[in-house]
Amino acid sequence: MLHAFNYTFPATALIADGARKRLLERSPQPLEIDADFLDLARNRDAEYESRMATFLQTKYEKRPPDVVITLGSAALPFIVKHRDDIAPNSPVVFTSVSPQNYGALRLPPKITGVISEFDLDKTLALAERLQPEASRLFVIAGSGEVDRRWQSTARKTIEDRKRKFDVTYLFERSYSNLVEEVSKIPRDSIVILLTVFADSEGNAFVPARVAGPLSAASPAPLYAPYDTYIGNGIVGGFVETFESVGVRAADMALQILAGKDPATIAPQTNPGQAYRVDHRAMARWNLQENRLPPDTAVLFKEPTIWSEHRGAVVAAIVIVGLQSLIVGALLVQRRRRLRAENLLRESEERMTFAAAAANIGLWQFDRHRNELWATEHCRAMFGIARDAPLTRDMFLSAVHPDDRQTANQLFKRSLETEQPAISDVRIVLPGEDVRWVRMRARSHSEGGGRSNHLGGIFIDITEQKSVEAEVALQRLEVEHLMRVSVLGELSGSIAHEINQPLTAILSNAQAALHLLAQDSPDVVEIHDALEEIVHEDNRAGEVIHRLRGLLKKGERKAEHVNINDLVRSTVSLLNSELIGRDISVRLDLDHAPFLTRGDSVQLQQVLLNLVMNAMDAMASTPVAQRSILISTGAAQAGMVDVIVKDHGHGIRAKENGRLFEPFYTTKNHGLGLGLTLCSTIIQAHQGKLTLVNDERGGAIAKFSLPVEQPTFDTA
Amino acid sequence: MTDNFTIYLVDDDLGVLKGLSRLVRARGYEVKAYSSPRVFLDEHDMAVPGCAVLDVSMPGLDGLEIQRVLTAASGYHRPVVFVTGKGDIPTSVRAMKAGAIDFLTKPVKDKDLFEAISRAEARDAESRRLHSEMESIQAKVSNLTPREREVLTHVVAGRLNKQIAGDLGTVEKTIKVHRSRMMEKLGIRTIADLVRMAEKLNPSK
Repeated sequence: MLHAFNYTFPATALIADGARKRLLERSPQPLEIDADFLDLARNRDAEYESRMATFLQTKYEKRPPDVVITLGSAALPFIVKHRDDIAPNSPVVFTSVSPQNYGALRLPPKITGVISEFDLDKTLALAERLQPEASRLFVIAGSGEVDRRWQSTARKTIEDRKRKFDVTYLFERSYSNLVEEVSKIPRDSIVILLTVFADSEGNAFVPARVAGPLSAASPAPLYAPYDTYIGNGIVGGFVETFESVGVRAADMALQILAGKDPATIAPQTNPGQAYRVDHRAMARWNLQENRLPPDTAVLFKEPTIWSEHRGAVVAAIVIVGLQSLIVGALLVQRRRRLRAENLLRESEERMTFAAAAANIGLWQFDRHRNELWATEHCRAMFGIARDAPLTRDMFLSAVHPDDRQTANQLFKRSLETEQPAISDVRIVLPGEDVRWVRMRARSHSEGGGRSNHLGGIFIDITEQKSVEAEVALQRLEVEHLMRVSVLGELSGSIAHEINQPLTAILSNAQAALHLLAQDSPDVVEIHDALEEIVHEDNRAGEVIHRLRGLLKKGERKAEHVNINDLVRSTVSLLNSELIGRDISVRLDLDHAPFLTRGDSVQLQQVLLNLVMNAMDAMASTPVAQRSILISTGAAQAGMVDVIVKDHGHGIRAKENGRLFEPFYTTKNHGLGLGLTLCSTIIQAHQGKLTLVNDERGGAIAKFSLPVEQPTFDTA
Repeated sequence: MTDNFTIYLVDDDLGVLKGLSRLVRARGYEVKAYSSPRVFLDEHDMAVPGCAVLDVSMPGLDGLEIQRVLTAASGYHRPVVFVTGKGDIPTSVRAMKAGAIDFLTKPVKDKDLFEAISRAEARDAESRRLHSEMESIQAKVSNLTPREREVLTHVVAGRLNKQIAGDLGTVEKTIKVHRSRMMEKLGIRTIADLVRMAEKLNPSK
């Protein structure tokens, strides 16, 4: 790299920099780069030049360069002149040579390079665009060789411009004079700075360095065709970027190094020219950016945070963005949660309201923690204060002592089976008020194991219970009325049943009296008579007892009832009636004493009803065939069947299916409640009552009841 | 034995049967008690003097039916006293029309029962006396020749000998002979006695 000037010369330094980077970047093999600074701007005598040539010749005698890149226009004539001594036959790639110089030089072979045309014309055009009002033009150039070439180029270029200015040429001045002149330039003028390599007093300058003080002194904007000035105070111009020149030169050198003949590589002109301006200077002179030609590169634009700390900014933006996203997501989440909570609360309120309106209390129990949750209504139902902590025992203590075990079993059962369990218990409220509550509990295990969570509802069923009780009471009333009415129908027969023992008693008593009146009373006979009286009295008492049972109004009892005994007792009650109606009764009772649990009076009422129906059904049956068969037996395990079979007219087709309807009757004086009640009673005893026709005539009434202790003791 | 007046008790209710038996026995009567009407009828001996005390409503045969059977069995009327738990008027009227001594309602007072029994006793004695008288008459009638029996019929009808002879195609004298022999065989002297006897034999005529 052969520099025309010294190390500090900006333009050449930039070209060298661009070329060096490009070479190192692109070279397929390792390169050794040497740099020499001819410093021709300050040393212009021929002697210096030959000494320099000798020095270089000596320096590269042993290892001549494979290619020489010249930097700065003065370096090309030097190498052309001394190549044969310094680097014989070495190809040369030149830079920073103006077209005029290139044309003036008679170049030997193996020399190519980049021609730089500093375009004053386009620089002027830029100035005109930015300052359309300006009428005065100042042109600055120094007294050096290059400076003088610019003087003539400038005059010609400006004359050729269409737009005419009041032109002042500040050429051939001393530096101090120049600065003074420049400071007087009016504000609305255009100042073109060309080159000042030397002033009129012979002082050497680096043109790019001159640009700074002149710009600072000038009230009007400065323009120049040199890239290196930009950044030193001038506005800008149409310039070559020196790095791009270096890059182009390096590419040519690399082609040569790769073996390409330099003769085939044509020199290139201005490969990277462009409008370039300094944003700070534009701002200083208040020039408007929108007037710039398109594709103008604006340099030194107020470094934004973005351009200065791009990474950090990106990172910050990313972080902020991410955080925003998270915050946004959280907000959305929160909104959703709030909405869900609202929905849940609304739903819960609705549920609680509905539950309370339906007199239902909701509760949940955690066995592990012995924690109980319950709705307000629950507390109210159990008479527990609003702020009192809830425990299971609290609820249990409110339960009626008689029902506590039921409640406990419910909890236990539902925890064991996971099946919903239901129990009705009584609750004793503080005011001794007793209410019925239906408890419904269900456990739900988590993960298959033994469940620890129990949930359920409490329903206040006091009203239901009272209605049920009332219905039961009414049913009892009706049942009683029916019994009374049946007994009314039977009153004659029943009176007879009592009359018989009374007759026997009277007869025996009178017999005894007669015996006593005799001279030698037969004591044995009297004794027998008295015994008979006692016996017959008992018999009368039994009838009355039976009657009283049937006539009595009372709650349904749960007692052991021997079915066979019940049949016998019923038949004996009907004895007179049966005789009166010429009906015979045959009993076919199983030996096993069937014990069922229930109300004997009610069951007797059923039997009584069925037998009476059988009797009524045979009213028009010939006397010889009037018979009723009553049998008991175990048709299936744990059940006893009681069958009442008659030889009457049977169930008529139109009656079929209606016999159990309330108030349906086939009798002239019937209420139509007999069978309805019978069916109800049997159902209340977990049994079933059926009525069918016998194929051989007559009807068969059958009811089955569960047997409590199936015993086969025939004794 | 046959001379003892016997009370036949029939009641399906054993208690009542035993009680009444004891009462009647205490009064000194011979008692035969039956809880089954069938057995009573099967074993019944009309020849024995006595009275039947029957329960009206019994399974199988009721009191009124027994009364009917007893009456149909012979010309002899066994006196019947009914006892009943349900003394309804139609039944009692039917019973009385059929010749019952009395219709007593349970519980039966001893006075009523004994009064009825003693009336039955009298009725039975009277009935028996009539019965034996009838039997002797019938025996006498059975000794008559057919011609004498024809004459008897005409005499009782109030016809004169001459008329009877005309009817039978014979002479008055022959009729007179038949008539005197018949009167002799029957042990009757006057026509009035003959007519009374004939009425006893055949009350419907």
